[in-house]
Amino acid sequence: MYTLSEQQIDFILNDIKIRGVEMEDLQLNLLDHICCIIEYELEQEGDFEDFYHKTIPKFFKKELKEIEEETKLLLTFKNYYAMKKTMIRTGIFSTIAIVLGSFFKVMHWPGAGVLLVLGIGSISLLFLPLMIILKTNDSNNKRDKFILASSAAVGFFLCWATLFAVMHWPGNGIFWIIAVCISTFVLIPVYFFTGIRDPETKLNTIVTTIVLVAATGLQFTMINIRPAVKLTQIKMYSYIQGEELLKKVQNRSASGHHENSTQQSFAENINNKAEQIKSMILMNAIGESKIPKDFESEGIIIEEGNLGIAFFDNGEGIKLLSELKAEISKYNASGEINIENKIPVDHSILDIDFDKIGRYSNYSVLNSITQIQMYLATAENKLTAFK
Amino acid sequence: MYICPMYSSELIKGTLKTIILKLLSENKEMYGYEITQKVKDLTDNKIQITEGALYPTLHALENDGIVTTEIVNIGKRVRKYYKLTPKGKNSATEKVTEFADFINTMKFLLDIKPQLG
Repeated sequence: MYTLSEQQIDFILNDIKIRGVEMEDLQLNLLDHICCIIEYELEQEGDFEDFYHKTIPKFFKKELKEIEEETKLLLTFKNYYAMKKTMIRTGIFSTIAIVLGSFFKVMHWPGAGVLLVLGIGSISLLFLPLMIILKTNDSNNKRDKFILASSAAVGFFLCWATLFAVMHWPGNGIFWIIAVCISTFVLIPVYFFTGIRDPETKLNTIVTTIVLVAATGLQFTMINIRPAVKLTQIKMYSYIQGEELLKKVQNRSASGHHENSTQQSFAENINNKAEQIKSMILMNAIGESKIPKDFESEGIIIEEGNLGIAFFDNGEGIKLLSELKAEISKYNASGEINIENKIPVDHSILDIDFDKIGRYSNYSVLNSITQIQMYLATAENKLTAFK
Repeated sequence: MYICPMYSSELIKGTLKTIILKLLSENKEMYGYEITQKVKDLTDNKIQITEGALYPTLHALENDGIVTTEIVNIGKRVRKYYKLTPKGKNSATEKVTEFADFINTMKFLLDIKPQLG
């Protein structure tokens, strides 16, 4: 049995490192293994160096670092399996969340936003990156890897552009433009010019390129036209003008003297509730409870959409609507209001079944509430003017 | 994968895990060199495990939580002892049972008669 000196052990360890084994765990395993072989198989008076150089080639076919490569392969194979599983699961989850979210959005049901954020978030942040890693691992072809990565980048930006657009968040245009640019200047040219050279892929390349160009053209059209923005601007100005008119009429009645204090308090209650409802809706649409004076320079736009999660949380919005309706009934019932001055509730937003309020857009509710306040202000004007 | 004078590597490919798990289930703890020697002795040199196959498999088993390691200092160097975790013990039994079942199926499929005498 041979006894190894400390210098010889250092020599072996150093040689393992020089031969390209980097994992410390594996270095120590191999060191002990080689030491064992030498200790058990070399005679006491044997030639260490000669024996070592004859032993070490038995560990590999070409070079020692094959062992490390094999180890890494086995370790990543396990990750590969887990990643594949996660990719499939996030893919299924995203698809379901996006389909349900879109359906909820069309129906103006609460929860659409959460579903869409989760669905688009998971498809772009989990599914697409995992797909790139796994697919590029599978393929040895550089062209395929590049095309896959650039299509995933286009997919990523399209996802976020769509999410920003449906959630009415500012900045969706930038994502559209990035997606269209990558598609036009990177993906399509690389795909076309690398695929057309090979007779085997020529036909497929032409067909797919046509589809890609058409799809990119459609996206570009969506950036350019955007009719919804103009329509929204008209709706927004119309709402703001309504609000300004309301203020003028309200100011006039406020300058008069109201003798019936009960009636006056009903009127105040109506205005309070109406303002609370409007604040809640505006908070969801623009993140502020009132439209700021500099809304134009700030580029603030109330996108037409649903009433927001806060409106339905604990039934807060519906409660306010019911209270507003009750206050109007009290006002209408108070003695001195004649038929002309009663606030009409029929066919207004207060006339519907409140459980179905989710079907109405923010603009419908805002305008209807302002209309009610306008009726009230006009009635109050007449009352104060008569006295 | 193996240096095995008697069997083709295709024949025993995929059995390394089973061999390691079985050995560890019969011995409290073992280190790499010990495993190779034990296999050599038990099979009368018919199967020799190479280091290039043994250590990657041991690392993968450790990563999967099937074996756990204990490091012991041997003078200037360290030795890693491998032993089965509770999960590994179940896995060892499953692997051996699966392999036994496979052999029976192969016997039936290839119509191998048991040798008498």
